[in-house]
Amino acid sequence: MKIARYGFVAAGAFLGLMMISQALAHKAKHSPEQLKAFEDVFMEQVRLGDLLFHGDEAAQKKLGVQLSKTGMACAMCHPFGTDVHPHEFPKFQEQIGQFATLRDMINWCVEKPNEGVKLEPDSPAMKALETYIYYSNRGSTLDPGRH
Amino acid sequence: MEHNQRERSELHEVLQGSGERPDRSLVITRRTFLHRSLLTGTAGAAAYGWFPLINTLDLALGAQQGFKFAWISDTHLYPKDVNTRFVDKAVRATKEVIAMRPAADFLMFGGDLAQLGDPVELDLGNEILKEVKIKKYFIPGEHDWYLDMGQRWTKLFGQPNWTFDHKGVRFVGLDTVSRGPDYWTAKKMSPKERMGHMATLDGSVAGAWAGVGRDQLEWLGKTLSDWRKDAPVVVFSHNPLYEYYPPWNFWVRDWREVNEVLRPFTNVTNIHGHTHQVLYNELGKMRSIGMLATSWPWPYAPQGVPALTKCMVRADPGDHFDGVGWSSLTLTAANKVENEYVMWRKDVLAEAATDSGCADNVNQETHPRVADQAWPYYGAYK
Repeated sequence: MKIARYGFVAAGAFLGLMMISQALAHKAKHSPEQLKAFEDVFMEQVRLGDLLFHGDEAAQKKLGVQLSKTGMACAMCHPFGTDVHPHEFPKFQEQIGQFATLRDMINWCVEKPNEGVKLEPDSPAMKALETYIYYSNRGSTLDPGRH
Repeated sequence: MEHNQRERSELHEVLQGSGERPDRSLVITRRTFLHRSLLTGTAGAAAYGWFPLINTLDLALGAQQGFKFAWISDTHLYPKDVNTRFVDKAVRATKEVIAMRPAADFLMFGGDLAQLGDPVELDLGNEILKEVKIKKYFIPGEHDWYLDMGQRWTKLFGQPNWTFDHKGVRFVGLDTVSRGPDYWTAKKMSPKERMGHMATLDGSVAGAWAGVGRDQLEWLGKTLSDWRKDAPVVVFSHNPLYEYYPPWNFWVRDWREVNEVLRPFTNVTNIHGHTHQVLYNELGKMRSIGMLATSWPWPYAPQGVPALTKCMVRADPGDHFDGVGWSSLTLTAANKVENEYVMWRKDVLAEAATDSGCADNVNQETHPRVADQAWPYYGAYK
């Protein structure tokens, strides 16, 4: 009985220590190496999204997506991500006729103007496109719902 | 970006000169815009917006009699088995030019007939435009040129620069696209890769490719040397002859030199394509008019849209005929010119800043691409 109690105490202490160490680790200052690793992951997504946005065939093939069947690419109407306005989503989108997120709008453009194949909302291609669009528009004023 | 903007503004002040404007007789008024669709027979129609006097340019000073000409550009044709959308629109513009009454004296095609310079695309465009029986003139766009360095284009349409006089007006066609610096040899690019980069408006691999070149500047000077300084000159170029948003390659890099050659002439109008949007600018005594594409509309640049431009409304991407069209230019006997943007949808020009294509981008800050910095570019994700 006593042994069992000690066991519970020890397990509780261990869990407590784990939680404290996790919390401390989360609050620990990031090392330059960690920051670089985070940056590398992000910029790789930006580069991949950039290529997809500009119609790169190899990038589409690698991810198994077809963003256009007309030869058109996203960048042909949105150089540098202009007129994409990611900072205005979510909003009511007239073309779609419903309240839409940026991912909804990306898929609408893929399907309608580009006549491509709609992406899974959580697919790697969608994440990369979203990353490129946000990165291209960094500095824009956050203004959800704006038309 | 801010640096570019500041530099452009300073250069503009230096070149513009104090109080200098294209022509004192140019009156900036407002005029109702008439939407017109000749194909569907709904001519006339209603007023949907206003724009400043792109219409009554005092272009034809000294013109012996009134006449009309048509402008089509930026059809960006793909082969029919890839995309018939742009083909349909090129056909529509062609039919509307044929239907002009009275007929136009000539048709000016302002470049980017093809999308990727493919001979199939250029031949298709030539076939479509063959239906127009009036005299036709052509200047090249970069999309026509960089697959085979203009071989097919020159075979079909001849020299890329030329001049002729017509009823008191000297017309000049400039080649602003063929002198791109060689960015392809060192990178061992295939012609297709070269064309792909040249076809990317916001790409950085091709660099600042648009230019007139020393030899052509000399030719332009000689061409105008016997022309009266106050007689009308119309210069056609694919790209605008001023610096408009360099990050997108909307500009001609030796635009200052072009302006110096044209400076002695008091009645110069530059009509250009390439930007796929309604634009109006004045630099020194030269005014520039940006024409529409038949293919698709570019958005306005986040900065640097000429202050005199009355922007067209942001196009609906779901409507393939929105924000596109062609132009009919009438030189009247009263020495005025009306430039009518024949747009295929209504609500295309804005009176107020609200809802105009310019206002739409003011809350936006965009940045150059990064993928261009990776090399090899193609196949990086194989």
